[in-house]
Amino acid sequence: MGDKPIWEQIGSSFVQHYYHIFDTDRTQLGSLYIDASCLTWEGQQCQGKTAIVEKLSSLPFQKIQHSITSQDHQPTPDSCILSMVVGQLKADEDPIIGFHQIFILKNINDAWVCTNDMFRLALHNYG
Amino acid sequence: MAERPMWEQVGTSFVHLYYQRFDSSRVELSALYTDASCLSWEGQQFQGKTAIMEKLMSLPFQKIQHSITSQDHQPAPDNCILSMVVGQLKVDNDPVMGFHQLFVLKNISDNWVCTNDIFRLALYNFA
Repeated sequence: MGDKPIWEQIGSSFVQHYYHIFDTDRTQLGSLYIDASCLTWEGQQCQGKTAIVEKLSSLPFQKIQHSITSQDHQPTPDSCILSMVVGQLKADEDPIIGFHQIFILKNINDAWVCTNDMFRLALHNYG
Repeated sequence: MAERPMWEQVGTSFVHLYYQRFDSSRVELSALYTDASCLSWEGQQFQGKTAIMEKLMSLPFQKIQHSITSQDHQPAPDNCILSMVVGQLKVDNDPVMGFHQLFVLKNISDNWVCTNDIFRLALYNFA
């Protein structure tokens, strides 16, 4: 016993792969998205693989490193996988900052692609 | 022009209703879940409305107040809606803490219900 559920295995693999590519060469993230994918990056919406890779490639830092604090995975009603990541990142010489990201993964022709991606830095109102 | 997309309207309404109920009378959250809903609460998994409500009703505080810093909504595969919330909460006399939550909403018989709910406090490794 103790085999992880499939959605956890796939979700974990995707998350690990995503941040590895992001941190080493984010121009290569294209293969994880399709033309129907949506990205919301700090409130800005991008639609489709090309626009998404353009947005991610143009982010204004040279070096980045992500560190995952927690990740949760669930199956969705229509056989997709939902993944939520809470972590910290360090860009160039900036201070470490918390972030929050979610992904929906869908199996298309035997490959798991990301149809939905949302990213927010952990900044609050201090209200 | 400038009418918000449907998924943003539905997502925003749901988020508003969810936290309003959570903060004033969380027993009323029951109507938002179904027997197929999944909740991950700080890494613990719950399946189905009954188990979810049992968890939420047993949380060890008297008063709680959520404050939303940001919310993002996207259309998700198979006509669902994905909503991500970053905010702060205050429980009883504890200090204010950040939290991250996401919801997947599905329209069942003309009602938008929550099929997936993942909650994490904004606590990091401080690595």
